Amino acid sequence: MSGYLEGLIAVLSINIIIAYSVYLPAAAGLLNLGSAGFVLLGAYTAGALTSLHGVPLLLAVPAGGLMAAAVAFAVSFPILRTRGVYMVLATFAFAEVVGGVLLNWPGLGGAAGLSVIAWPGLGAVVAVSVAVVAGAAWLMSTRFGLSVRAIHDDESVARLFGVDLRATQVAAFTLGGFVGGVGGALLVHQFNFIDVQGTGVLFSIYVLLYVLMGGTQTVWGPVSGALFFTLVPELLRYLASLDPSLKPLESGRFIVFGVAVVMLMIWRPQGLITRTMIERALGRSGSGASRG
Amino acid sequence: MLLIQQLINGLMLGGILAFVAVAFTLTIGMLNFLNFTIPALFMVAAMLGWALITPGAHPLALGMHWLPALALGVVAAVLGSLLIERFTYRYMKTRYGDATEHALPLVSSLGFLIVFEHLAMSLWGGDPQRFELPFRNTDLTIAGFVIGLPQLFALFLAITLVAALQTLLSRTRIGRALRAIAENPDAATLMGVEVQRLVPLVFVITGVLSALAGILYAVSYGTVTPFMGDAVATDAIAGMVLGGLGNVWGAIAGGLLVGLVKVLAISFFGAEIEKIPVWGLLLVILVFRPSGLFGASRIGKGKF
Amino acid sequence: MADALRLESVSKAFGGLQVIEDLSFAVPVGSRTALIGPNGAGKTTVFNLISGVYVPDSGRILIGDHDTANVSAARRIGLGLARSFQNIRVMPHLSAVENVMLGEHHRRHPLAAAWGRGATERARAALADAGLDAYDGMVVSELPYGIQKRIEVVRALLAEPSMLLLDEPAAGLNGAETDELRKLLEGVSARGVTILVVEHDMPFVHSFCNHVVVLNFGRKIYDGDNEGVRRDPAVLEAYLGSSAGAGDAA
Repeated sequence: MSGYLEGLIAVLSINIIIAYSVYLPAAAGLLNLGSAGFVLLGAYTAGALTSLHGVPLLLAVPAGGLMAAAVAFAVSFPILRTRGVYMVLATFAFAEVVGGVLLNWPGLGGAAGLSVIAWPGLGAVVAVSVAVVAGAAWLMSTRFGLSVRAIHDDESVARLFGVDLRATQVAAFTLGGFVGGVGGALLVHQFNFIDVQGTGVLFSIYVLLYVLMGGTQTVWGPVSGALFFTLVPELLRYLASLDPSLKPLESGRFIVFGVAVVMLMIWRPQGLITRTMIERALGRSGSGASRG
Repeated sequence: MLLIQQLINGLMLGGILAFVAVAFTLTIGMLNFLNFTIPALFMVAAMLGWALITPGAHPLALGMHWLPALALGVVAAVLGSLLIERFTYRYMKTRYGDATEHALPLVSSLGFLIVFEHLAMSLWGGDPQRFELPFRNTDLTIAGFVIGLPQLFALFLAITLVAALQTLLSRTRIGRALRAIAENPDAATLMGVEVQRLVPLVFVITGVLSALAGILYAVSYGTVTPFMGDAVATDAIAGMVLGGLGNVWGAIAGGLLVGLVKVLAISFFGAEIEKIPVWGLLLVILVFRPSGLFGASRIGKGKF
Repeated sequence: MADALRLESVSKAFGGLQVIEDLSFAVPVGSRTALIGPNGAGKTTVFNLISGVYVPDSGRILIGDHDTANVSAARRIGLGLARSFQNIRVMPHLSAVENVMLGEHHRRHPLAAAWGRGATERARAALADAGLDAYDGMVVSELPYGIQKRIEVVRALLAEPSMLLLDEPAAGLNGAETDELRKLLEGVSARGVTILVVEHDMPFVHSFCNHVVVLNFGRKIYDGDNEGVRRDPAVLEAYLGSSAGAGDAA
């Protein structure tokens, strides 16, 4: 397999993992504009463990996830006291604080970033991303998953049926933190480097956008969002290599992404993948399908 | 001595932040919309102005006189703002829907932000460019302290504009109509308010404010880049929250406060630590006193 | 034995508007009670007070023996209360079975991942009882209004409530669907469940309910049986004073 393809699959896998870190709270109705915070926590924790303390990668990655989860848990209580735009801003503020703290933490490289040597390899990264997708699919099919999806559709009615709103949202937020931490831990080791400046506001924005683009109604949305965000630029690059007049399209790949987001919000705000779409694909639709 | 100069610097930065914070708080207060394209409009005016004025090989290097060039920058920002009104705000669903759907305008504005920033990048590249106007020294020196005139002007302009806005809102027919829209757009329509014509007015004002802020920033600090709006906008948002969402005077105070905290933190603790006090304070405010230090305005519901 | 539900001098105002004023009535255990009244009388507000969505300004609400004063909405299902809504509030992106299963949610710990044995089967059986088994796996937002309404009732039933609150369950249903609903509810009532409905469909009320409470402008103007309500002068005045005549509002 060519180095280019390997790199692409690695990026895609990690984008998928990070997508699920934002999807889990979003599925419970919480918009997180601070995913960079969890990614940084996981990356720096794992990176410090492997490069400064010689901890094997196999332990360092979950440790990164756990650190991010612990912080997510602690922060979820104050953040869940906010709503709407205030919550978006609170998650944003959280990520900035995390970035600021890590930037100043002794021994982590400061503004120059953190470099690491341990390397997970493509196989491990892909395996983890598949596990994350499968895990999320399983989780959403359980009773807990139903409470999350019920909250997403109608918070107050869900409460009237005994769903513990606060507990479910804390759990979703914490799990999202864990997954984000794992994603960050893999990110820093697969690419040997991470820095706070490069993993900030824009990073969180891109992740939130491609998760919402994929759709939060079903567990398959984040994968499609990550696929779009990762592969469309490559598709454009390929097309440009075939037809040079399409060159501007290639360097404009973020522009294409931005335009796609705007158009989607106008014409299909529920995202690319919706529940009814999945059901139709499986032949279980209410509109004239196989059932009587 | 150093402290006083730093205080002045903080207020100077704060002046520009106040300006942008007012733009943010105005759209949140009037339209329930956190408008993430403000940093893009900020940048568009400044970069377009730079491109038009500065001779060179870049696109649109027309070597224009600075006055029409900057005016064009403002016009471009206003047009951009109207574009966003057309394709973002108009589609805002105020109906009951799941939580992510309420965020439509915010998400859409993020999409526009990316488009504008990368458009600028593909036109002019990502490197910082020097922005210079014919009059060299724009600083005032009094008793050994340097005071940036553009920033001072920004502060003064912000105060004047806010005062004018307040008068507009409370004393004129248009102002009453705008407040009615802020309270309840549907009820306003029923009462004969021409929502379709007034909402774009708010976007025009936003465009003008962002553009002027961007230009003043460029003149004060001498550089422009496609991403110049990001850092300023995030700080301005902090200022907006401190002042209370929808509270325009609060936004000025908040912007000044953030500018002060930022400059003082940098000068005493180093550039890297400044995020922590600003955003830590913000997080605390959001959780324990979301109405800000001065109370959120009762105009609008301050949601998305 | 305590009544299934008792309101004692309950009042509720919103802003300057007194929506419910000094309201007292009791719903006997096992009864089929209708809460009726002209539009704007405050019927849905009463439901919202009972289910805990609103808190009364004064007065008490007792469910069985329990004073609901400090019981949050989320815990009232534990008191045996389940309800449906005037504007249907099923979860649009979940299937019929998933919506119905939500009714059972309160029986296990909030974070328990698994449903426990037979949960899906029970949900399917409940839908079959109501004649809705053809729609099991379908996403609810795709289904017709009448079907969604009945799914909402089945969801409340799966909570195995001791008291069922139904807000206009027959609204928007055609004759056949209303009959199906009545049959379903008769079966439920026969099992001893107390039923309180808000309704405008008078034929449905007369054929199904054995106790009627009439509200007008947030106050009770009649509390008695089906026969008396047709003749009560206060009720007639309340209805004739508005556009609908008493007894035959559709």
